[in-house]
Amino acid sequence: MQSVSRVVSPGSVQSVSRVVSPGSVQSVSRVVSPGSMQSVSRVVSPGSMQSVSRVVSPGSMQSVSRVVSPGSMQSVSRVVSPVSMQSVSSGGKRTGDTETDSSREMKTHFRVCRFIMETGVKLGMRSVPVATACVLYHRFFQCVSVSLYEPYLVAMSCIYLAGKVEEQHLRTRDIINVCHRYFHQSSDPLNCDTEFWELRDSVVQCELLVLRQLNFHVSLQHPHKYLLHYLLSVKSLVNRHAWSRTPVAETSWALLRDCYHGNMCVRHAPQHIAIATLYLALHSYGVELPVGQREWWQVLCEDVAKEHIDTIISDLLHLYDMEAKWT
Amino acid sequence: MDRDLLRQTLSYHGQSLFAQLKCEQNENPDFTAIEPDLSKASYQRNDGGGVKTLVEQFIARKADILFAPSWKNSVPVDDELEDEGEEPYAIMPPLEQFMEVSFEERRNLLYRDMERGDIVIGRINSIRDFGFFVTLICMGGGLERDIEDLEITALCPLRDVPSNGSRDDPLSYYQVNDLIRAGVKDIDRYHEKITISLQPSSVAASLVSLKLGVLSKDDLPHHYSRSLRVANDNTETYERVLEGTLGYSNPSNVEYLLRKIGISDTQPPSLMRWLQSKHFLEDDFATAIRKKQSASWALKCVRVGVDHFKSGRYVEAMNEYNKALEIDRNNVEALVARGALYANKGSLLKAITDFELALESCPTHRNAKKYLCQTLVERGGQLEEEEKLVTAEGFYRKALSLDDSFPDAKEALRKIELLIQKSLKLREETAAREAEKSKNVETSAEKLRKILKEEKRMKRRRKRSSSSSTSPSSSSDRSSSGHRKSKKKRKHRRSSGGGKCQRRVSSRDNRNVTGNEEEWYPAPPNTSASFLDQKPGVFDVSDRPEEEPDQRPSKTRNSAHSLNSSTSVSANAPDNRGRFEDDPFDLSPLRADGSKEKGIWDKASGREVNGRERETSRGRRVSQEDHIGPQEIPRSSEKDKNRRTSSSTSSEHSSKSSRNDLPSLSRISTSRRSDSGSYCSADRDNREENRGIRRSDGGDYRSPPYSSRNGKARAGGSQKKELPSNLLDLFSQIAQFEKEKCIKPQK
Repeated sequence: MQSVSRVVSPGSVQSVSRVVSPGSVQSVSRVVSPGSMQSVSRVVSPGSMQSVSRVVSPGSMQSVSRVVSPGSMQSVSRVVSPVSMQSVSSGGKRTGDTETDSSREMKTHFRVCRFIMETGVKLGMRSVPVATACVLYHRFFQCVSVSLYEPYLVAMSCIYLAGKVEEQHLRTRDIINVCHRYFHQSSDPLNCDTEFWELRDSVVQCELLVLRQLNFHVSLQHPHKYLLHYLLSVKSLVNRHAWSRTPVAETSWALLRDCYHGNMCVRHAPQHIAIATLYLALHSYGVELPVGQREWWQVLCEDVAKEHIDTIISDLLHLYDMEAKWT
Repeated sequence: MDRDLLRQTLSYHGQSLFAQLKCEQNENPDFTAIEPDLSKASYQRNDGGGVKTLVEQFIARKADILFAPSWKNSVPVDDELEDEGEEPYAIMPPLEQFMEVSFEERRNLLYRDMERGDIVIGRINSIRDFGFFVTLICMGGGLERDIEDLEITALCPLRDVPSNGSRDDPLSYYQVNDLIRAGVKDIDRYHEKITISLQPSSVAASLVSLKLGVLSKDDLPHHYSRSLRVANDNTETYERVLEGTLGYSNPSNVEYLLRKIGISDTQPPSLMRWLQSKHFLEDDFATAIRKKQSASWALKCVRVGVDHFKSGRYVEAMNEYNKALEIDRNNVEALVARGALYANKGSLLKAITDFELALESCPTHRNAKKYLCQTLVERGGQLEEEEKLVTAEGFYRKALSLDDSFPDAKEALRKIELLIQKSLKLREETAAREAEKSKNVETSAEKLRKILKEEKRMKRRRKRSSSSSTSPSSSSDRSSSGHRKSKKKRKHRRSSGGGKCQRRVSSRDNRNVTGNEEEWYPAPPNTSASFLDQKPGVFDVSDRPEEEPDQRPSKTRNSAHSLNSSTSVSANAPDNRGRFEDDPFDLSPLRADGSKEKGIWDKASGREVNGRERETSRGRRVSQEDHIGPQEIPRSSEKDKNRRTSSSTSSEHSSKSSRNDLPSLSRISTSRRSDSGSYCSADRDNREENRGIRRSDGGDYRSPPYSSRNGKARAGGSQKKELPSNLLDLFSQIAQFEKEKCIKPQK
């Protein structure tokens, strides 16, 4: 119960209740009960959101679970399938160990975001749409519990939606193909049959769900352009030969992309994230900038403090710890 | 691993990082190889923030990625100088201005980092014999630093100032306080002296597009103007400047800057081991899967289509094949299957293109090859039947070139080669025979034909000239002659004959025409009948005149028929008028042109002959000649032209319309007669309307009587038609011939 109330903060419950009917909020509190999957269908079913209920209805869950079918379970060892969610949530409730619960969620999100990024590369997406997809995903699961919705399906929809938001056209067929291949390595591409169309329907319907859950606020500010401008400014401070020898730009860009594995992108201002990644990149290579009355990062963004940068960096580095632990 | 880079990092972080590195990277052969080298140095510095240990741990863990040579710059940097006017990204003032770096440090850094080929902008502070001194105010390219308050003075020696055309002293072009953009030529770092140059060769290759020399204030770079603003306004911050620029809101500034900085966005860098691009299989990318999937979907359609095909549902089969090709444009199987269907349905050429397309994308496809061979042979057979032997042979050869052991093609090729040889021989023989034959025939028949042609030409000539000289009837005549010309252009008849016997000629001409082209003959009974009724007596007279010396009989005829023609005219005129009005204007320009030309031509050619022949002609004619004196003719023809163009609505109309009608009319000589009369009258009417115009043109020598007479003459002439046309024709031709003979010597 605690975990649910944490994930679905009071404010978000309201937004949820706006989408779902008031009665469903009660059923949300029952999500973590042993029979959570049943209650899931109840959450959305009371007729309030016909289209959404189709996404999460037992029928669609089947199609989703086909995406994360036993075959994929081996490659992605701990993918969240409906069955595992039940046991997890009930276990979490019994021990009351919220720490494990949150870290488990983080792990799920980490994996799903990595999935988004890998898919993004294979789809030829640019960095900004990928970042948008991740932020949409994180914001969606800030509002609702990961036990309610199939995260990979949400991720696929977020990719699709991000393509629209950032004006990089992506075809659902490509998204489904790449994701299918991700879960079923070296399998043949899907046939043009009901399975494909069910998946496609699920993705499109879930996209609507995400949109409603986010109250259609999907245009985002990203750190990317800040980082690039900062890089140019910092570059002219450094001797050009030293700069060309040092891959600060690449490293900071990689750090920025990697930071979307966690939800820090939602919690921090884009400028701060940009500064933090640049800071870490400069430090990694021991690049020293001239010292003035004020630090360079102070100049770039007025309201950033050293603590902010440190927090972000430690968050970011924590992601690499997670990577080491969970790969 | 990049040793220098690693050393730089180690010297920054100190011993603790080295320990971590040794721990984390002990399995990395790259690191163990350079480890002893690194351990020699001692790392003193060891300061950092709260996350220091975390950062060190991170560096140690990711060292294999961070210091890998391949990590740096996967994409060549696009170092092109951008057009400042567009500003695709936010151009910011130098950062040290905001950081308030001390004067000394900035000066040192500038002397350290400035290089030959950079561009500086400064203000001239003094001009000497040997050059001028410039106080630098900002960097113009290559390095962006805040140097305005550094009070750096650079020398531009005389030899680096390009001479300016006529001026003897290049320095006289420059004045104190001019803004100058110049390339850095030399830097003396110890004595802190900078030499600049205005020669373009002093500038680095990437900056060559910038023009050196005097600069206006508006041309100062963005970053300088912005830094000035920041210097003057304490509230300006980096953030505010950034967000205030146009480039900041450019939605594609990220892509632009990525290119500028040299980061690949299609193979993005990542420090996550899972996401290293090199781990991704080419097969897992969207395009590859899509391709494969399309192929398999298309194949499925083909399979369904083949089933349809086998059970005889060709339309469905074709639909399936087309669907398959829509899914996968160059699907070999679909192309082969569709080709087979085409071949089966007899569209051999379509089948061949399909097979060829299939072979293009898969040259080893056995079925495609086989089918293509068969289809080619079949097509060859078809062509053979159509007696296009050479093309057929080509098809057979093509089939053999695909599969040289294809028996059918071999057989067919052998046969057709024989056939071709045979037919060639045959053709040669027949050709030879025919040549002989034609020779024999030509001697008699051709000669006659030639003679006849000659005659006709002469006749036409005469008639035309007459028509032009007797201008009253010119429009109608012109129209008819133009008409005739257009009809018989192929025969290249040129009229340049005399105008004496115009009436006769015109009648004869009609005759002629009917005789020559037999399909013209059948005449509408009504017109001929009406003519017969009206002038029974004339028939005999007009019959003979051909053989007689010309004018007299025709004259009488003319006068006799003048009444009749005018009546017929009045009867017919309304109809014709209606036609004129119906005649759409869009046709007129062309027609008008044609008639105009012809008219002029007729005039010109007819002139001489007319002049000469008129002397023998009747009084009327002579009296006319007063009007159309030889000296006046050029003018009159000119005028005539003018008139035709100016009064295109009237006479041109009539000529046009008559021409319009002529295709049908000319075929019918009798109807034409009456029609021509009506044209004349219509013409006259028109002329009456336009008289003002014509008068102003001067020399209104076209008197109505002529036109009417002309029409009558024609009417009279046409009555001869009752004779057997061939015979009549012959007579007339002979008469013509004789006449020509008489005329020619005169010329």
